[in-house]
Amino acid sequence: MTAAGSVAGSAQTRRVTASAPGRDARRARAARRAKTAAGTTLAVIAAVYVLVPIYWLVMASAKNTPQLFSTSTFLPPSHLSWGENFRLLFTVDGGYFGFWILNSAIYALVTATLATAVSTLCGYGLAKYSFRGRRIVFAFVVGSLLVPTTALVVPLFLLEHDIHLINSYQGVILPLLVYPFGVYFMWLFSADAVPGALLDAARIDGAGEFKVFWKVSRPSLMPGMVTLFLLSFIGTWNNYFLPLVLLGTTTKFPLTVGLTAWASELNSPGAGQPLYPEVILGSLISVLPMLILFPFLQKYIARGLTFGAIVGE
Amino acid sequence: MRTSWQPAVATPDGALAPGATAAKRGRRRKSEPGGRTAPGGTAAGGLGGRAGLTMTLPFMILYALFFLAPFLYSIVLSLRSPQTGAFVGLFNYRNAVGNGLFWSAVIRMAYFGAIQVTVMIVLAVVLALFLDSPYCLRRKAFALIYFLPYAVPGVIAAMMWAFLLQPDLDNALKVPHLLGLASGPLNPLSYGFVLYAMMLIVTWEWTGYNMTILLTSLTSVPREVLESGKIDGASELSIAWRIKLPMIRRTIAFITIISIIGTLQLFNEPVVLNDIASMGSSYSPNQIIYNTAFSFGNEQLAAAQSIILALITVVATAVFYRIVRQRFGLAGTVRGAAR
Repeated sequence: MTAAGSVAGSAQTRRVTASAPGRDARRARAARRAKTAAGTTLAVIAAVYVLVPIYWLVMASAKNTPQLFSTSTFLPPSHLSWGENFRLLFTVDGGYFGFWILNSAIYALVTATLATAVSTLCGYGLAKYSFRGRRIVFAFVVGSLLVPTTALVVPLFLLEHDIHLINSYQGVILPLLVYPFGVYFMWLFSADAVPGALLDAARIDGAGEFKVFWKVSRPSLMPGMVTLFLLSFIGTWNNYFLPLVLLGTTTKFPLTVGLTAWASELNSPGAGQPLYPEVILGSLISVLPMLILFPFLQKYIARGLTFGAIVGE
Repeated sequence: MRTSWQPAVATPDGALAPGATAAKRGRRRKSEPGGRTAPGGTAAGGLGGRAGLTMTLPFMILYALFFLAPFLYSIVLSLRSPQTGAFVGLFNYRNAVGNGLFWSAVIRMAYFGAIQVTVMIVLAVVLALFLDSPYCLRRKAFALIYFLPYAVPGVIAAMMWAFLLQPDLDNALKVPHLLGLASGPLNPLSYGFVLYAMMLIVTWEWTGYNMTILLTSLTSVPREVLESGKIDGASELSIAWRIKLPMIRRTIAFITIISIIGTLQLFNEPVVLNDIASMGSSYSPNQIIYNTAFSFGNEQLAAAQSIILALITVVATAVFYRIVRQRFGLAGTVRGAAR
């Protein structure tokens, strides 16, 4: 392979040849640096693209309305209006914003907790037992992964209207508990995480199936449940279409629906003072907790996302 | 019941994964993903069997009430008259199919997807391959930054960008004008440009998500395969192109299918942008369905439109899957390499 050394400038130069080790090593280092530089440039541009709107949101949240239209877009204002904006945010329009934060937290926490419980039980049951009807349950779960769920929003509205669930917390939470991906995920996860021998040992000791689940399987399933909880929490916190359709009372809105309602009045004349600082600071507050927690949660979330996709490689 | 871009709707999983999973485990055969052999091994039937059934019950009850019932209801609804409620056969479907606005929205989304999905997937693949290469420094920091938009609700992302793309609020948009390159401040939210502004926003939201999936997929490429590539003298670039890329082609197909589905279901971004850019409320098919049902109160027509959109989505996904399966042989070859 000494010929490789003569192909100067090509990728082959990374290989050090016996004839001129010093020169080739230098050339290899230079080629490596060039590639690092080219790749890093692209990666940094992509990172700037991601960070610019978030940075802008932080800067803009410190400005009052006149400052928003007069100061430089990406620089902080000469005097920070955070305090003033914060006070406005929680008092304007009857102080709805406080409700919205609380509602988002309630919807996300309750949904994530119950959806995790329901999906874990079902996925575990499918993975660890064979019973009559198992194929049918499985077919329903996999089949519903293929249905674009936005198609169900209109009939869901009508159905909830008929059974008086509309415009209630339960009305938003209950449909979100049907989480076919969660079942599918926990089915695969249980199959891997809980060894059958361990279950058999517990059974020989005379434990009932639910006791086996609680004492033996649950600890092994915990990492999967954490992932599922986070996915469901973020999905619910970020959800817009479903609560938009199912809720009518402003005090029951989550943040996404409330803030969008404010934003829709920004450009309509006659809607009163446009709430620019409120919408901007409100948006920041709605994403801040998750952004701060993200470095710690990233690996759990990523594991859930990739679970289905990765298995074929 | 997640919204359009809710990623956990891992739709193509059903098509892609069960077989692959079986291959990975090597215990179940592809033909019986829901078969009788429970992976953990347990007493078939009997007391244990009843416990298994009981465990699936809470999910199945909720599923019947909040998934199956609305699904069946929407079919029944779509066959009824908007005025009298009487059975009218395919009347609503004929109405929906004859609606030019609906089709122009579908075609708009197809055009949107053809550009946006392609750009996003290529960008995600390039970034993932770079982050997976030895040339990348600070790999963890980049991976975290790219993944951040996943934590931002779609409507908030759209709002943020809508502010940032307004000439009134963003000085940067005035720069070409000040340099004499444009007759006025750039307005990316004007009617002709707003579709491209939306591409910028959706790409911002989902590139990192897709890259995260690809990156995890890449780390599972067997190291021996990469080592043998290096011993043969292949450069990192050709290892990426000839070894890594083929190994993750299933994942690429998977994220592309999710993206196609998401594009056809687009709702949040056009709704929010419409408040600021005023491009009308018939911009995307889901917007039309929403307005048919809730502004015009024609739930029967909306149900028919929903079903047609779902069918279009299924057909688009199936066509894409067929093409890539024939072109890239996704069916079986890679599976063999997985343990």
